[in-house]
Order: sequence, then C-alpha cells, then structure tokens
Amino acid sequence: METLDLQNGRARRARLGRAIGPAGYGLLLLLAALGVLGGATLAAIHHSYGYSILGIGLLLTMPAVWWRYELRDVPVRTGTLADRLSNDVLVLLQPHQTYTPQKLWEALQPNWQAIFFANHLLLPGEHISDLFSDDSSQMPAVLQEAIRIADSQESPSVEVGHLIAALLHTSPDITLLLSQVKLSQTDVDAVSGWLARGLAGMRQKPASFGGIGRDWASGFTPRLNQFGHNLSAAIEHQGAHFGALVDGPGVTGMKTAFSQGAGAIALIGPDGIGKTSHAYALAQNVLAEAQDPVLAHRQIVALDATAIMAAAQRPGDLEYILTSLLNEAIHAGNIMLFFDDAQLFFQTGPGSINATQILLPAVQSRAVPMVFAMSPHDYEQLRATTMAFAGLLTPVVLKEQPEAETLEVLADTANHFEIRHKLVVTYEAVKAAYRLSGRYESDMAYPGKAIRLLEQSLAHANQKVVTAASVEAAIEQTRGVKAGTAAPVEADQLLHLEDSIHQRMINQTHAVEVVANALRRARAGVANPNRPIGSFLFLGPTGVGKTELAKAIAATYFGNEDGMIRLDMSEYQQQTDVARILSDGKEEAKSLLMQVRQQPFSVVLLDEIEKAHPNILNLLLQLLDEGQLTDSQGRRVSFKDCVVIATSNAGADSIRAHIEKGEELEQFEAAFTDELINNGQFKPELLNRFDEIVLFRPLKPEELAQVVRLMLGGINQTLAAQNISVELTDAAIAKIVATGNDPRLGARPMRHTLQKAVENTVAGKILRGEAHPGDHITLDEPDLSL
Amino acid sequence: MVFSLFSWWYGKGWAGVLTSTRRRLSILAEMFSLKILLSTLFSPWRRIITYPGAGLDARLRAFGDNLVSRCIGFTVRFFVLLAAAVAFVFTTVVGLLELVVWPLVPLAAAVFIVKGLL
Repeated sequence: METLDLQNGRARRARLGRAIGPAGYGLLLLLAALGVLGGATLAAIHHSYGYSILGIGLLLTMPAVWWRYELRDVPVRTGTLADRLSNDVLVLLQPHQTYTPQKLWEALQPNWQAIFFANHLLLPGEHISDLFSDDSSQMPAVLQEAIRIADSQESPSVEVGHLIAALLHTSPDITLLLSQVKLSQTDVDAVSGWLARGLAGMRQKPASFGGIGRDWASGFTPRLNQFGHNLSAAIEHQGAHFGALVDGPGVTGMKTAFSQGAGAIALIGPDGIGKTSHAYALAQNVLAEAQDPVLAHRQIVALDATAIMAAAQRPGDLEYILTSLLNEAIHAGNIMLFFDDAQLFFQTGPGSINATQILLPAVQSRAVPMVFAMSPHDYEQLRATTMAFAGLLTPVVLKEQPEAETLEVLADTANHFEIRHKLVVTYEAVKAAYRLSGRYESDMAYPGKAIRLLEQSLAHANQKVVTAASVEAAIEQTRGVKAGTAAPVEADQLLHLEDSIHQRMINQTHAVEVVANALRRARAGVANPNRPIGSFLFLGPTGVGKTELAKAIAATYFGNEDGMIRLDMSEYQQQTDVARILSDGKEEAKSLLMQVRQQPFSVVLLDEIEKAHPNILNLLLQLLDEGQLTDSQGRRVSFKDCVVIATSNAGADSIRAHIEKGEELEQFEAAFTDELINNGQFKPELLNRFDEIVLFRPLKPEELAQVVRLMLGGINQTLAAQNISVELTDAAIAKIVATGNDPRLGARPMRHTLQKAVENTVAGKILRGEAHPGDHITLDEPDLSL
Repeated sequence: MVFSLFSWWYGKGWAGVLTSTRRRLSILAEMFSLKILLSTLFSPWRRIITYPGAGLDARLRAFGDNLVSRCIGFTVRFFVLLAAAVAFVFTTVVGLLELVVWPLVPLAAAVFIVKGLL
C-alpha cells in the first residue's frame, strides 16, 4: 500500500533546497568567494585570522555547490513512491500534515502543472476542492493511481500533474462534474499526456547538429540560397519542434528508402496531412544523423517554384536556372532537394514548370537525394503523363493518423498558439476542432484541417480563453452552418417551428410535423451526424404545397428562402448528366456539388425526382446513406448539413382517388408506397433511404380559400408602398376558388386567377383615379374582373 | 543535514566531477566537429575544385588548383583541431584537478580554520 513518506532524506533535501533558494545560493557563493579571497590575502600578510577566514570560505563553498548540483532539483531514483516523487511535489507538501485527497488537491494548486489542468479542462476553481474526499484512507488509492499514470507515460518521476490526474480519476464526484461539462476521464488522461509531452519537451537536451566544421567539406550554394529555403537552417536557428513526426513512420519511411538506395522519393498525401511538416521533421532528424553516409548532416533545401519562374524572363532561362540549381546541389555534396507542391514542377501552362526532362538525369544517377511532395491525384497524373520519371520515384504514402494521435498533434500545436498569442486553448476546444473540422472541412486531411480551424478559433477567444464555443463560432462564420448549441431564442423558434411554417403553408399538418421533428432532432444533436439533417420524399399532386414547404423550411430554419438549392431533375434524364451533377464547377458552374460546397447549410430540393436517370438515383442512394458525394476532382462534398427534399407527382391520381373515397392519408400510406414499388416507379432501396415519405393530399375548397387569403396578404404587401389595401368578401373568395380550382393542378392556377381578379381590378381603379393613397378597397364578387 | 552534505560530497558529488568532465569533453568534441574534421582533414576547402580538362596541361593545372584547395582545407582544419586539442587538454587538466582537490576541500577547510585559531 503506497503512502506519502515526507520524512525521508530526499524530501528533507528538497525542502532545504527550497529554503536556500537561488537567493541563498547567491549569498553563499558571495560569502565563500569573499572568505577564500579575503582569507588568502590576510594569510599572505600573516594576519592571525587569515587562515580561519580562508577555511570558512572553503566551508561555505560546500553547501553552495551542494545546492547547485543536488538540492536545487533533487533527482529522482527508481524504486518506491518516495524515491520517485518529483522535487516540485516534495517542496509543496508539508512533512507533518496528514494528507487527504482534498488537502493534497489544495496543497498542489500553486504549482503550474495544477494550473495547466484547471485551465485546459476549465475546472471551476473555487468549489472543486469540496468535491474531494477528506478521508485519509482514500490516499493509497490516489497514490497508486498516480504511479500507474506515471508508468503509463514512461515517466521516471511522479509529478504534480500525475497526482492531479490521479485525484481527478479517483473522485466519483469529480467524474460527475466532468460529465456535466461534457468531459470524461479519457479527457483527463489526454490532458495529462499533453502536459507530459510538454514537460518532456522542456527537459529535452539541446540537439547537436555537427559543430563548426560540419559544412567545411561541402560546397557553397549561392543560387540555392537565392531560389530555395533551407529547412535545416530554419530548424537550427528557430528550434526543433516537430515532436513525434521526427521519428514517425513518414520520416522513417523516407530515411529507409534513401538508405536502401532510392534516389528520389514521392511523398504522397492529401492536403493537410503535413507533407511540409514531414520535410521539416526529416531535416531535424537528418541534422542529428551522424551514422548514415547518405544522409549524415544533409541540408534540406525547398525550391521555390514562384521565385524560379519570376527570374526566368527569357526562353531558356528556366532550364538554365534549374540546371544550375541541380548542379550546385550535386556539387555541394550535402544537399537534399525538397519540391513542395511538386506538381508545379511537372505541369505545363501558366504558373508551372515542366521540369521532368531536366530532373530525370539527376534522379536516374541518384546524384542528389530529392523529395517530391504531391497529392495522390497529382501522383496518379504524373504516372499517367510521365511514367518514365514517376517510375524512378519511391513512393512514401502519408496516411491520416488515428483520432487519439491526431488529437495529440492538435494539442501540441495549441501549445504554440498559446505561447504566440498569450491565451489558453482548452482541451474541449481541441476536441471541437477535431470533430467540427472532420464534419465540415472535407477539402483537407487531418491534422491540417483541424489545425486551421483551431487557428481560426483564436479570433473568437473569450477573455483570452479558446473554448468549444470559440471553435463553433469560427466554423459558423467560415462555413455558414449552425454548429453551436441552440440559443434560447432559437430553441423557442425550433419548438414552435410548425407555427412558423403554417404562417405560409395551409394544412398538410402531417408533412409539416414530420419535417419539423427532423429539424429539431438535428439541431438538438440527437440525429445521426453522418447523414443529411433530414431526407424526405414529398409525394402528391401538383399545387398542394410540396415546393412551398421546402421554401418554408429554407426561410424559417435556414433563414433564407433564396438559399435553397433547387434542381429540376427532368433536366437530368441522360446518363451523361451524372457528370453534370458531380462537376467541380469548371464545366457546370451551377452543378449540385458546387452549390452545396459553397452553401453547405441549405435545403436541397430535387424536383420531379422520378424523371432523373437511374444512375443519378444511384448517386442519391450514396448521398442519403453517407451524407456525402465525391466530385470529379476526387474531393468530398458533405450534405450532412442539408435537408434533402425530393418531390414527385408519381401516384398523384392514386392519392386523389383514395382521398375522394374519404380515406385519410395515414390509412393508405403503406399501401401506396408498396404500389409505387410494385409498379416500378421507385426502387425499394431508394424509398428506404429517405427518413420519411410524406404524402400531400389535394386541398379542399375551404383550404383553397385560406390559400387565397394568404396570397391576398402578398398582394397587400406590394400595395403597401402606395398606402392602399384590398379586402375580399367571402363571396369574392368563393368565386375565385371556384374559378381557380383545378383538381389536376391544385392551388397552382389560383395565383393566376387572383392576379386576374384582384390585381387587374385594383390597377384599373388606381388608373381611373378611383383609388387613392390611404384607401381600403373591399371587393365583392361582382367587382371581380374574371 | 551536515551528514547528508558530507555523504553527498564524498559520494555522488565526487563522482559527478568525473561525469561533468566527461560531458564537457563530449561537448567540445561536438562543438569542434572532431570526427568530421579528422575524416575530411585533406579534403578541398568548401569543395572549391577544378575539374580536369582533356589535355595534360589542363590536368596539371587542375591538380595544382585542387592541391591548393586541399592545402587551405588542411590548414584551417589543422588549426581548429589544434585549438580543440588545447581545449581538451585544458578541460582534462581542470577536471583532474577538480577530482583531486574535491575530497580535500573539507579537510583543507578544517585545517585552515584550526591553523588560524592557533
């Protein structure tokens, strides 16, 4: 059973070290120097106490030296807890105190590691100590847990951070508190690991990069200095901080390939995976490399394609510059060339260089190691266009790391942000950046996309603290989506969504309710996040409000009716139209994917879906299943923040027949769906992918009358500019309904009838001078010009 | 505490003098690029070399040029190695002196104090 032994020699020495402190050390050193020098001088002139003063000076030297090499930071030993407690812990704890978890928590609070935990987990500072047990019998479990955490991090010492993490782990009330702020014990472990990596970095000995004579046997590189950026020099002068990457699989893969005789490497990975960081990490690794004859002390120089092109004024300049750069690198003997965005060196056209013919001999002869960083797409393109060159490159493929490792990279990067911007980035923010970038940033890979989002979130810090809310605010601003928790006003709006929609929709209560429920589920975060917010198939005759409901959703939930992305699927009946849907925007400016990429938070309305080519319907299966499609450039486009609505008139006659027989929608819904499948209008796998199949029934005459009143409201809004208003009597409305009602076209002809009946009449009155500003016109049946 | 001080002084402290001297020597070796300078002692200075032409005359001229470059390289490296050797000797002597004087400090302190009082 582990106990806190604070009476042993190490603990006493640590406390003595703290008592002496830097000031005491300085004083001891001064007195020792004075004693030795003064005593020696007095002894030389035969003063009686000269030797005694000299002796005292020598005696004072001993504690000063002891403090400098031992007491200042009492070293840990392997063995028991007493041997492993760090100096920081030993100086914070009192020898005669009986510690309980609560007292231990309070005692450790002044230390920066405890503050690190409080800041990064956003622990409430004041009342949290009350949540720890005040029972000393709980201590062995805490200490045992601290040892376990230290061992899991391969730390020889048990630090303040380990004790804090152990206290947080072993208190049930703290677990409850953490869960209330959406954190778990796994997060405590993650923050503990974050702190441990920081400590290891601080205690890391400065790397040795070869000394003053390292480059004396290598050539000068004036042109490379002009057209390149020396990554190794940057590492030497600005510090090495590429952490786990330096010995990671990417760097190891490149080193192994070069050691085995590769002349050039294709470093392949999507944007954001960290190809440039891998080049820096390779530079850091190689700088410290002394054994491998191919790599020892190589300087990695990244060529700047823009500078090269800017300098090439005349035909032939480009070839001359590149050749001279290659020759210089070969001659220098200690250079490795790095081609970032290598496709710029392999393409023809503006802003690029086709350098394959110049580079080919150098790659073939393995005269100078080269690394070409490119995306998988560019690598495939290179293989397709210049196989002779691509075949000489040894591919090293970078893959996205698992979530835990990506979070570590993200947290370590957050440290740099904290130092540079003097703020705190909470672990909650780190997790939110990972989660939200994964959801909304499909253009890039991890960790780049999460780092970019976290950096954007810094601008949304509240009182110098970056939280999950800051990350949500950043993504809301950059992507136009709703990522945060619904504010009270919005929550109220969501709860009364049906009322808002019914302000512009007559009846279709079932359809409105189904859609409103889906939106509420999505906003409350209980819907499947990997599919669209909602997907609906609206079925019913023309003119019953299918499109109107889609517009109402766009207006009430997405805040903008014009933001609706609408595709008439009757225009996509050919197999070749699949390419139009998947276009990245170059060939088809208004392609579905282009529009969703620009406006990811929107209603996607696919009108008359039954008319689309079957291959397009197959695409729809993927869209509804996975919430994403891949465009012609291989980039994923997310539909996870869209409401996807497909409309169809299929089976309209059947709906009408059922309704005319007096049946309610709910009574024949299932049979109707079977009917659609049986007569081959829709495949069952498509129908099953929709969240809901919503039937719209034909409007009754009294509902059409309400539609007329709604439309009249629109006319009055237009007339408000002239300060004139119009009212219709019930008889007039009945007349309009009777004239405008067409069982096949629903309410659609009503607008035309109303236009003819009211707008023409009012226009005539205004022109004849019978209507003036401020007038309220009441139109009865005989007044209507029908 | 006095016992702790003395036990450290004649234990880890004394051993630390040796470790510390070794570390200083290793830093010196690294700082002066000892291995690199020895392995490239006769290499041309900064690879400033002339590639031999076709004729005998050109070959002789290139040989002469490269010999000059190698001489410059050797001279610079030789003097740096010389400086390194001086630093090494100095550090080693200081380290040895520390090693010898270290255990005598408490004794010397006691002897001097008593001698002054007598």
